[in-house]
Amino acid sequence: MHDPRPSRMARRKVKAKTESRTVVYSDREPSAFASMLGGLIQANVENSAAKKKDFESLAAKVGIWVTDIDEGVTLDFHSGSLVVHNGLHGKRDITIRAEADTVMNLSNLKIGLFGMPVYYDEVGRGVAAKLLRGKLRIDGLLGNLATLNTVTRIFSVAG
Amino acid sequence: MAVKAFSDEWAKQFKDEVNKSSVYKSAAKGWKWTVGLVVEAEPDKNFAEPKGVVMDLFDGEARDIRVGPAADAQKCDFVITAPYSRWKQVATGELDATKGMLQGKLKLKGDLPTIVRYTKASQEMTECTTRVPVEWPDEK
Repeated sequence: MHDPRPSRMARRKVKAKTESRTVVYSDREPSAFASMLGGLIQANVENSAAKKKDFESLAAKVGIWVTDIDEGVTLDFHSGSLVVHNGLHGKRDITIRAEADTVMNLSNLKIGLFGMPVYYDEVGRGVAAKLLRGKLRIDGLLGNLATLNTVTRIFSVAG
Repeated sequence: MAVKAFSDEWAKQFKDEVNKSSVYKSAAKGWKWTVGLVVEAEPDKNFAEPKGVVMDLFDGEARDIRVGPAADAQKCDFVITAPYSRWKQVATGELDATKGMLQGKLKLKGDLPTIVRYTKASQEMTECTTRVPVEWPDEK
């Protein structure tokens, strides 16, 4: 009940409103692909302490280009936050180019011992075969293998 | 024999195709959520009213697929929305559902990691729709 006396003000603790800003979009209208990847990463990071740790350690610019729909995104990881851009932007550490199916399969790679993606099960073999056949191209792979593994772990919905 | 698009007969045949698919059965193992397809009206294509397809899918089996109001489909755990002509493209194999979602041609609502985990199942389900012979209202 409201206390009318002037000296007895209600003292409700007001919490600073902390909006989750893990993933932000640089474009006013993020593309469907950008929203999907951003949403996927946000959900993964929120649901897994291991992925959150990876996310907080990752500082890299990663491009993903889907060759059969001619759309792409740039994921700009800043040690605990991510800016998603429509299209490929600026100098990137890694750029992945593949068809839509393969991009989805990258998210289905299982993570095995020592946090390494598993390439010997059905999904892994499929991804490796695409890499060998040139259907999956990873520019900047040399020198950024650890970054690629971290990104794969953050993406993965399979483990 | 061809059935009317998004009719009860279509839903029955679609369900039969899904349950006949060994690929779907294995790819959808562990799936336990309902999926709603919202088919938006396109009066100029003789599809005057929106419709909803409610799919009760469980562990690799289609327990029920029925056609009703769009509002019913919107209550499902996962909702995919597109105009009639887009769904026609999916059902005739002209548009891959995965690509459609990445391009925003099919709008998806629901937990993304879950749907990504079951990409193969959703692709096979799309294949199943293409096996149902359909009489399209804009081709009459």
